[in-house]
Amino acid sequence: MIGRMAAAFAAGLMLATPVLAADPPAEIKIGTLYASSGRYASISMPVHSALKLWVEQKNAEGGVYVKAFDKKVPIKLVAYDDQSNTATASTLYNQLITQDKVDLLVADSGSVLTAPAVAIARDHKMFLFDQTGTGASFFSKDNPYIALMADPVSTIWPKPVADFLTHDGPALGIKKIALLYSTNEFTGTQANAVRKFIKESGAPVEIVYDQGVPTETTNYTVIINNIRAKKPDAVIHLGYAPNDIAFLRNVNEVGVKFKWMFSIYAGLETELLEKNVGVKGLQYVYTYVPPSELDYPVNFGMKMPEFRALWNKTFPDGKVEFGFNAVAGYTTALVIEKTLSVATSLDQMELRRAVFSLSGQLKTLDGTFALDETGGQIGELTPLGQLVPNEHGHLKFVAVYPHEVATGKPVYPRP
Amino acid sequence: MPSAIRHLLFIVVPLLVVFAILPGVYENHLMLFNFVVFLILAQGVNVIYGFTGYLPFGYVGFFGSGAYGFAMMVMHAHASAPVAVIAAGLAGMLIGLLLTPLLRLSGAYFAIANLASSLAVLHFVANPALEDITRGPYGVSLTATFNPEAAYWAALVVLALTLGVVVYLKNSRFGLALQAVREDPVSAGMAGVNVVRMRVAAWLASALIAGLAGGVYAWYVSVFFPDNVFSGTFSIFAIVFALFGGVATIIGPIVGVLILYGVYNLIGFTTPQYFQLIYGLLIMGLVLFLPAGLVSLVTRRGRHVP
Repeated sequence: MIGRMAAAFAAGLMLATPVLAADPPAEIKIGTLYASSGRYASISMPVHSALKLWVEQKNAEGGVYVKAFDKKVPIKLVAYDDQSNTATASTLYNQLITQDKVDLLVADSGSVLTAPAVAIARDHKMFLFDQTGTGASFFSKDNPYIALMADPVSTIWPKPVADFLTHDGPALGIKKIALLYSTNEFTGTQANAVRKFIKESGAPVEIVYDQGVPTETTNYTVIINNIRAKKPDAVIHLGYAPNDIAFLRNVNEVGVKFKWMFSIYAGLETELLEKNVGVKGLQYVYTYVPPSELDYPVNFGMKMPEFRALWNKTFPDGKVEFGFNAVAGYTTALVIEKTLSVATSLDQMELRRAVFSLSGQLKTLDGTFALDETGGQIGELTPLGQLVPNEHGHLKFVAVYPHEVATGKPVYPRP
Repeated sequence: MPSAIRHLLFIVVPLLVVFAILPGVYENHLMLFNFVVFLILAQGVNVIYGFTGYLPFGYVGFFGSGAYGFAMMVMHAHASAPVAVIAAGLAGMLIGLLLTPLLRLSGAYFAIANLASSLAVLHFVANPALEDITRGPYGVSLTATFNPEAAYWAALVVLALTLGVVVYLKNSRFGLALQAVREDPVSAGMAGVNVVRMRVAAWLASALIAGLAGGVYAWYVSVFFPDNVFSGTFSIFAIVFALFGGVATIIGPIVGVLILYGVYNLIGFTTPQYFQLIYGLLIMGLVLFLPAGLVSLVTRRGRHVP
């Protein structure tokens, strides 16, 4: 009887005692890659620098709060340089998982360098924090080991551009559109999306020029003349930063005045383009309005002015440009921080559950973090804007679409 | 014991056994897989450059074609992975066949034309107009055949076949005839060697090897873009590894891959900031002091290197 009572007491005590958190490790290991050289260095380094900046900031505060251990734990960033080489990236992703035994796996920037990580992460059942790899082929219902952190998937990204042209375009006199794009996954998918949105809209606009060119293209002179021959009312150019630089410079050199012209990186990496194209070449160009110009309401992490100030303090030489990619890297860091604060363990599926629980709830300087069921990012959309000269001759962003976030009227035709 | 058997027993079999055992010892299987892929590609370069003198700067064209041959068989014909790997080899050969007119060129002209042709194949595959066939620039995702372990074993089989080809070339009249063509095609022709047929055979064998390598690579990685599998790095690495060890030998490209790719990974993991400096100095040293590769350290002393 006494034995039974003792057993019942012990069982009751066990039930009444809160579950104690597991012993915390000395550090949380976050593994990632970056490209210090090669084709993707310009997009990779700002993303990586932002992630490093966050690690230093958090470690100075004693680490990040990890719910699984109910305390702050310092972070160790294990980062290797893949030099924009995908075969090297494959090996290094594997190294992070199998040798360094990282707790969290973060992909390099861009789809090409993220691609090797998708299969490797899935093979090792590691959840992949995909920073800016927007490739539609990464996200499928049968792969639970990935989510896109900081850019919208390419299939929905250009919706504001197409919506502006189909909703507001006809009233402005836009009826004929030229579509020029670089034949890579990032811009090719956006071109497909533009085509689809325009077709589905039923608006009285038609694509009169539709041409893909190799991503390595550096001279657009002949192409620009071909576009001019079609007399379009609007020209959409979808390319990486070097493509945008070459295209916009050639447009100025040829002396063509397209009435409406869009380029991706005029807005995403404005500093870089201003250096290479000049203020005049960017005037009245339409582009995505980056979060740095929009001051989104924030419920986690630094606001844009704070982040920009910290960035300028940390990188005073200006060698790593502050722009869209820097914000993307910091956004990834914030998602990681918030994930660790809600995940009950470091089990990879629990990390996934925690990441998905943030969907629609987490509001950072990059906008609202929202995922679809496959892990594709459907929040953090960038409105359409126009680069307009201010009274000092500098460029300022004027958001023109969607109307609810518009800060001004579009200037059409381009003066 | 015939030298071919000796080469198989003392070079090929031990190498295959080591790479069969290593996955059980070392966890970074993808690194081991990349070693195997570069061993195959370096030997593929050996077949065409070492035995005929044609330097294939665009060798990755065959590799990428193989990867996409594999992908198209899986996506459209729903073929099993092993069948798709064979199709990948045939895809590499088909591109090789289309490019046979390049063999009319020689030296730097051939190297440049071959490089240009690999870029042409890349842009053909990545053409958005072919989205329904190749998926264009949007990349392929082959989840149906995803099986890294099986792909690793398939890579070992391809390596065994490739080494078998090189052992044959090293020990046969055919290989001797190829080397005669490399040294002096006119004299070789006068001696009764069919120069054109010899060159085309070596060219197609080399393309087949790269195509098979591309097929097993596609099987292993399963998600890739044209830029991934047509990356010029594959050509450069394969050529540098083969030259570093010494071409027209069985052992040279193996030594080249094991040392240079080993150093490459070691630097990459430890001192990435000095990566290009160290690697560049290593290659400069090779060109200046050992133009015939590491094996020349032995052959200079009058010893034979298999």
